[in-house]
Amino acid sequence: MRYGFVIDLKRCYGCYSCQVACKAANNTPRGVDFARCLQGETGTYPNALRQMLPTLCMQCAEPECLKVCPTGATKQDEAGIVTVDKKLCMGCKYCMMACPYGQRHSVPGWSTYFPDAEGELDFYQTYAKGRWEERNGYGIATKCDFCKDRVKEGKKPACAEACPAKARYFGDLDDPESEVSILIKRERGFQLNPEFGTEPSVYYLPAR
Amino acid sequence: MLLKPQSKWTWLVAAYLFLAGVGAGAYITGVVADWLGGEWAGIARIGVVLGFPCVLVGCAFLVADLGKPENFWRAWMRPNTSWIARGTIVITVFMILGAIHFGFWIWPFDSLVDADGARQAIGLLGAIFALGTAIYTGILLGASRPIAFWSTAMLPLLFLVSALSTGVMAVIVGASFAGGAEAAIVKLGKVDILLIIAEIFVVIFYLQGTHRVPESRASAKLVLVESVAPLFWIGVAGLGLVLPLALELAGAFALEGTGPEVAAIVASISGIIGGLFLRQVVLAGGIHAPLKAGRFEYALANT
Repeated sequence: MRYGFVIDLKRCYGCYSCQVACKAANNTPRGVDFARCLQGETGTYPNALRQMLPTLCMQCAEPECLKVCPTGATKQDEAGIVTVDKKLCMGCKYCMMACPYGQRHSVPGWSTYFPDAEGELDFYQTYAKGRWEERNGYGIATKCDFCKDRVKEGKKPACAEACPAKARYFGDLDDPESEVSILIKRERGFQLNPEFGTEPSVYYLPAR
Repeated sequence: MLLKPQSKWTWLVAAYLFLAGVGAGAYITGVVADWLGGEWAGIARIGVVLGFPCVLVGCAFLVADLGKPENFWRAWMRPNTSWIARGTIVITVFMILGAIHFGFWIWPFDSLVDADGARQAIGLLGAIFALGTAIYTGILLGASRPIAFWSTAMLPLLFLVSALSTGVMAVIVGASFAGGAEAAIVKLGKVDILLIIAEIFVVIFYLQGTHRVPESRASAKLVLVESVAPLFWIGVAGLGLVLPLALELAGAFALEGTGPEVAAIVASISGIIGGLFLRQVVLAGGIHAPLKAGRFEYALANT
């Protein structure tokens, strides 16, 4: 069992639904996104192209973040998901330096979604803040966990469920018959920056 | 595509890297002086006295940088998992040995000060761990493979040469406060000339080695001509290398009377400050590799 994603760059049209759905599911504070869409461009006008790249934690089989973690806070479960034990993390931020994919986040304190608003946080933000503190808290290096808890309940990760373009597939990479395994084989799925030898569990299908 | 430098490790970490280097370098200077003995006895004491307190203060900066400072003790719990864990062990052993060595000169152990053999043996062991302290910081940054500016074998060497140079300079400043070591100060200044020349070459080779990948070329650009350039040219090149070298050369070959001593002291203060700037330049120049998908490259958003 090794959970993995396939993200089809042909289908993605850069609507940021994954990023927003992730934010809603994980109650991340302002400026923190576990599933961030990046914009890329190549060439110069009139021969220029743009391509979105939706990212999330790659849940590498050989995680750099785990290799540099000095306290044992970073752990990898039997399904390949890399998690941070918030009791053990001391917040040295070494994992943020070592992760090739920029998927580690250190949050010093809550930052409101409405920086211009004055006064107390409203009900929704109080809820989000409470959930964040319960699950992650401050000072430690947090990350995406493929919505582990949702998956346990039989649901898809929030980003996969929200994608209106059906560009995100979630499944078991160890099962050769699974949708993700077949897509990777058939459509020449590739991993980001394989030169770091991290063996990511997130594959991308080429755009064109 | 604009590659942005990392922004998570800044001055607090730079202060640690710097003080760890100064402490290790000063201690090594002290140990070597202790072996030489005779007129160097005073210098030996100053080097050893400066060694572990510098590293200890540096550690305070590092703990202050932690997101959860109350968990700092966990760095000792998993030795051999990471370069932070290994380094923690190395600096701990260094500080213990440094404190024992220091203890030979204070009551109630001062009667042991004539036990040259024991003291010098501890000095040898301590110097090995001091070398480790100076070098591992470069390896620690180098283990962050996506940052090509750090992930090079030149970095441990750069930090080592800078540690030795700033260590000698700290001993010069310390000796000038203690007084009565004019001749030794001038001689240490001459030793430092060689170290500064070596450091200039290492800095040049370090920057030359950045040509290989786009992210390290971006780092070199950032350091040499863009936002970090003032810190590099004024702080590292000017205060850290050229000014101390010029002053110490003048002290060695041109000045007379108290001139050489004053030149060495001013050069040292300037060079020590340059050592701090060097660490900050290296940290501020660190840029992660872009993500690559087909023909497209993407800068990381979270740096």
